[in-house]
Amino acid sequence: MLNPPEASQTGRTVTAAVVIVVTLVLQVSVANRLPLPGGVQPDLVLLAVVALALVSGSMTGMVAGFLAGLAADIIPPADHTLGRYALVYCLIGYLCGIASAEMDRQSVVPFFAVAAGALAGTVLYAATGMILGDPRAEWSTVSRMVPLQVVYDVIASPFIVWAVLRVTRRYERGERSRGDRFSVPAARYRAMSGRGGGL
Amino acid sequence: MKDTRRTRVVLGALLVAALVMITVDYRGGEHSPLRGLRGLGAAVFGPVERASASVVRPVGNTFDAVTDAPGERRRADRLERENQRLREQLRSNRLDQDRSAQLQRLLGTAGMGGYKIRAAQVISAGQGFEDTVTLDVGSRNGVKPDMTVMSGEGLVGRVTRVGPATATVLLASDQTSSVGARLEDSKEIGIVQGRGRRGLGNGGTPLRFQLLDAAAPMRVGQRVVTLGSQAERPYVPGVPIGVVERIDDAGSGLTRTAYVRPFVRFTSLDVVAVVVAPPKTDPRDAVLPPSPKPTPTPTPSAGPSGSPSPGAKSGKSPKARPSRTKSPSSTPNPGD
Repeated sequence: MLNPPEASQTGRTVTAAVVIVVTLVLQVSVANRLPLPGGVQPDLVLLAVVALALVSGSMTGMVAGFLAGLAADIIPPADHTLGRYALVYCLIGYLCGIASAEMDRQSVVPFFAVAAGALAGTVLYAATGMILGDPRAEWSTVSRMVPLQVVYDVIASPFIVWAVLRVTRRYERGERSRGDRFSVPAARYRAMSGRGGGL
Repeated sequence: MKDTRRTRVVLGALLVAALVMITVDYRGGEHSPLRGLRGLGAAVFGPVERASASVVRPVGNTFDAVTDAPGERRRADRLERENQRLREQLRSNRLDQDRSAQLQRLLGTAGMGGYKIRAAQVISAGQGFEDTVTLDVGSRNGVKPDMTVMSGEGLVGRVTRVGPATATVLLASDQTSSVGARLEDSKEIGIVQGRGRRGLGNGGTPLRFQLLDAAAPMRVGQRVVTLGSQAERPYVPGVPIGVVERIDDAGSGLTRTAYVRPFVRFTSLDVVAVVVAPPKTDPRDAVLPPSPKPTPTPTPSAGPSGSPSPGAKSGKSPKARPSRTKSPSSTPNPGD
């Protein structure tokens, strides 16, 4: 009985890493180049971190957030003080992970949680810029950009959350079915996988 | 959630790590000890971004083709696939044509000014509050930090950081960018500063021009070119920047402020050029596009010659300052 949990842990780590890298690349090479009104783009990486934290708890959430933030700090066009995204995403991952403990995955609550996380993350990032005296994060810019960015994040969040839930759920289901094959009757297995299939 | 204590310890450790990084990088500035980390980022993510750009481009272009294909997929599957392939070919052809037209214009502009350029393509853009893009050329292509980046239309920005196969460009519209600039037909100099968000925010004019001499004449419609920095780094002289759109007369300070509409559209950058060698002599106004007034101006002689040719003579300013005053090349350098 030692093998399955270990495999699950590695699988989850790999899934999280893949999700983060793919989102990060999509962010810089697709999302940031969209000429959206207002010149603001949704922060897909933040959404992915929030979704991961909601799915797998605060520990995964904050470690994934820290690493995703660090990657976002060093990916080529980045030109801000190193560590800002790492700090923000780490905190957001932790908070969303804590919130996920009392949350039902089958309802619409995750989507609201994602919106709240997006708001907190955007505000926090702007705040670090202000504390460091970044000329780009002066009040006139921030006050105009942050509401718009939260709106875009909320619009984009169903897609990201859906994708992350989908990826992690599929993995979990495969895991469960493999475990269940030997011990659980076929009917129960079918019921479980049926429940796991719907969003 | 029974492991709260351990979770908190890890959280604390990670937060401290992030704060230490911020502090070290902030205090280090340009010579931050964490530069190596950024170099690592460029080396790791650069190729990934290049690959994803080459994937994303055709996908984006064929996306329409996929969505507006007719519904009877089952029946016409084979036909549709063929159709799709042909359409894709057509599209990529058109894309190539478009790009070759952009390149043509770029070469024309560069040739007029006598700049030596290396063409590049924008592959990604910055996140958050910064106006930065990544190009698909790097130190392997001879690109170094503090080189001017221009497009066929005008100034784009300057190279700030270079990876093996990628280079990061600070756009002229970024709020930390300031460029030494000069009004056309005169020696009046000033500083062009960005206002952020690729020109879409803050009222639509992404650049602010501060004229250092408050008494100097300036009018709406006048064009602005780069002044050129010391030793042509980071900005080479004579690159068109934009048109004065609005003059702020309210302040009676030491400088006058105008808002400049750039020639370049910062939201749709695609083919750009890195100026790898500056022109031998200042091209002055020769690179400016012909004036919007439809006066048949003779095209300026290509290549920088000793006497600058009047690139744009408009009938709008009969009583402007005596232009064509040969400015000494030792003009002061206000920008960085």
